[in-house]
Amino acid sequence: MTSESTLFSNRWLPVLLVAPFMLLIVLFFYVPIFQAFYWSFFLEQPFGGGSMFVGLDNFARVLSDREFWQAGWRTIVFMVTASSLAVLIPLILAVAADRRIRLSLPARNVLVWPKGVAGASIGVVFAFVFNPFVGILAPLNKAFPGIWAPGIDGTDAFITLIAAHVWGGIPFNFVILLAGLQSIPRTMHQAAAMDGAGPWRRIFDVQLPLIMPQLFLTLVLEFTESVTSAFALIDTITHGGPGGATTLLVYKIYKDGFSGYDLSGASTQTAILMVFVILLTAAQFVFLGRRINYER
Amino acid sequence: MKISILAAAAALMAGACSAQAANIEFWYGNTGSVETAIKAQCDAFNAAQTQHKVTCVGQGSYEVSMQKAIAAYRAKNHPVLIQFFDAGTLDLMLSNAVVPVQEILPDVKWDNYIAGTRAYYETSGGKLFAQPYNASTLLFYTNRTELEKAGITQTPTTWEEVIDAARKLKAAGHACPFVTDGDTWRVLEQFSARHGLPIASRHNGYDGLDAEYVFNTTFVAKHLQNLVDWRKEGLVRLNADTKAGNYTAAFNAGECAMMEGSSGSYAASTKAFDGKYQLTVNMAPMYKGYERHNTLVGGASIYVMKGRDQAEVEGAKAFLDFLRKPEQQMAFTAATGYVPVTNDVLDAINKSGDAKAAKYATAAIGIESMNQPPTADSRGIRLGFYVQFREIFMEETQKAYGGQQTMQVSLDNAKKRGDELLRRFEQTYKGVKLP
Repeated sequence: MTSESTLFSNRWLPVLLVAPFMLLIVLFFYVPIFQAFYWSFFLEQPFGGGSMFVGLDNFARVLSDREFWQAGWRTIVFMVTASSLAVLIPLILAVAADRRIRLSLPARNVLVWPKGVAGASIGVVFAFVFNPFVGILAPLNKAFPGIWAPGIDGTDAFITLIAAHVWGGIPFNFVILLAGLQSIPRTMHQAAAMDGAGPWRRIFDVQLPLIMPQLFLTLVLEFTESVTSAFALIDTITHGGPGGATTLLVYKIYKDGFSGYDLSGASTQTAILMVFVILLTAAQFVFLGRRINYER
Repeated sequence: MKISILAAAAALMAGACSAQAANIEFWYGNTGSVETAIKAQCDAFNAAQTQHKVTCVGQGSYEVSMQKAIAAYRAKNHPVLIQFFDAGTLDLMLSNAVVPVQEILPDVKWDNYIAGTRAYYETSGGKLFAQPYNASTLLFYTNRTELEKAGITQTPTTWEEVIDAARKLKAAGHACPFVTDGDTWRVLEQFSARHGLPIASRHNGYDGLDAEYVFNTTFVAKHLQNLVDWRKEGLVRLNADTKAGNYTAAFNAGECAMMEGSSGSYAASTKAFDGKYQLTVNMAPMYKGYERHNTLVGGASIYVMKGRDQAEVEGAKAFLDFLRKPEQQMAFTAATGYVPVTNDVLDAINKSGDAKAAKYATAAIGIESMNQPPTADSRGIRLGFYVQFREIFMEETQKAYGGQQTMQVSLDNAKKRGDELLRRFEQTYKGVKLP
């Protein structure tokens, strides 16, 4: 028999225990998603009262819209740059903290703190930090007027967004990667050291291969999350501007649906975005996941 | 058809049970000093009579208020009264979610409203759809103290003079001579209206849902290119160029010397300037050689939503009657800078002996600006999904200010994307006739 039956005497008890959570998921995930797929085949009047079946018209409209592709491209650029940095930087920090260099103990503590800060709050803080007049780059602006202008220059705004996202992603990835590093037996290091491997060689040949499962986990989570979690940052820092330079797909959906009253178009884009994320995750598992050795 | 039958039924029932008491809700979007004034009116209404009680709920912004209204209406959980902003007019007219105020309150003297206000909110048959509430229009603000420091004694009235003044200010070392946020309402709608230029064909959509945007071919394109050039020259600043990060805040702090802004921000400016600078407000500048036409009424108006019971509609009517009273409008104008929009209020202000007082400064100028000779294209904007178009326009023009593309390319793109919205709106409301 399965392990559950040895833990629970009543076979309905586990179902009952899971039920509240399942109910929430159904209510707040499956129902809206179903609704979005449904609406993507209709032209829906904002206040209700009339919707018309239009078949694949919405998909044709969205897929032929230049703005959609541009937002999609920006999403991919953000996903690749922000997620790689959000894994790479915590990795460097984790390797350093694991080496018990000076201050690594307090650092292990402090680096986890941002986890407690909501995305929107991070956004508000970074809007100040990168403000061209009072932020940390203000002196640079004094020396070279106009060099840092996230309110005018789309690239600057994009950089701000990535910085905020990476900062917010440090704690979780740091904890996972550090845990992976700490679970590597010390004897491995010692054996490698006795064979003459220096610190750098040990990082690349011992530590990194052994934390592949953790790296894979953080990468998968980052890639899927960066697609959607950028919303809070965009909404507080750039509002998708300037000139739409930071309008990622997730923000475009919100704008189209809520300020443009285009429920059909927003639903269609939601459907497309969801399929994209599912495919992306599947691809990661197929191409990367299989090569990872979970045994030690 | 459907609307008028429902309204007729509502009117009949209104007569039958006019004595019912009700608790009603009113949603609004303003914040700051305007919100304070709105709350004061709600309290005054509740204190003035005991039959009805209004609960006024602030939603944080016009856009959010409209988003929530849509969600609430779909969930049948909406308030009976709601304030909507100018850009949502056609969306609401076709929404089938509101009853025209003139049908619910047939005995009110609606022609008391000044023509410019009526034109924006009335049907082709001349029926007001919403009761104008916090009406504003575009005005030209200057910091006279700063202008005089730079040797400018006459307040500029044309764009040519504005730019001359800006050059003098710059020469005198002023970092921010003229500030704007490049907002669609300011730089496209109000500019086109007062210069007599169409924004879209079919008289800005008044004649049918098949309108197309044309602003990219009018003089407004030249003006917007000028703004780009003047910004490069250091004469014009945008939100992001200012330390304050926002054009009204930058003007109010004395950082910028001139701005084009809503009359609704007048109270905040006088308060900020008090004891430090002298403030002037005038009609928005014209280009030389153009005849001045009316500016559009901005701000917002109050709609009566369908689907609430008769007692609530009675309460709503009582509240609307209360808000229309001259003394209420006068107090609201004095507290905010919003413009009174009925003729009797103007008379009342003139009779009050306070007509020259600073608190009514925007009333006279605002009305004068909205009462300039109208054209068929300065009645208002009757275009679908217009809220989204405003954002598209901002997004595309920002690219021009940022130097990514020329203003003409921006405007052509905005027209193309705007036309797509109009076609989708037409399809969404297939077979519906403009009221």
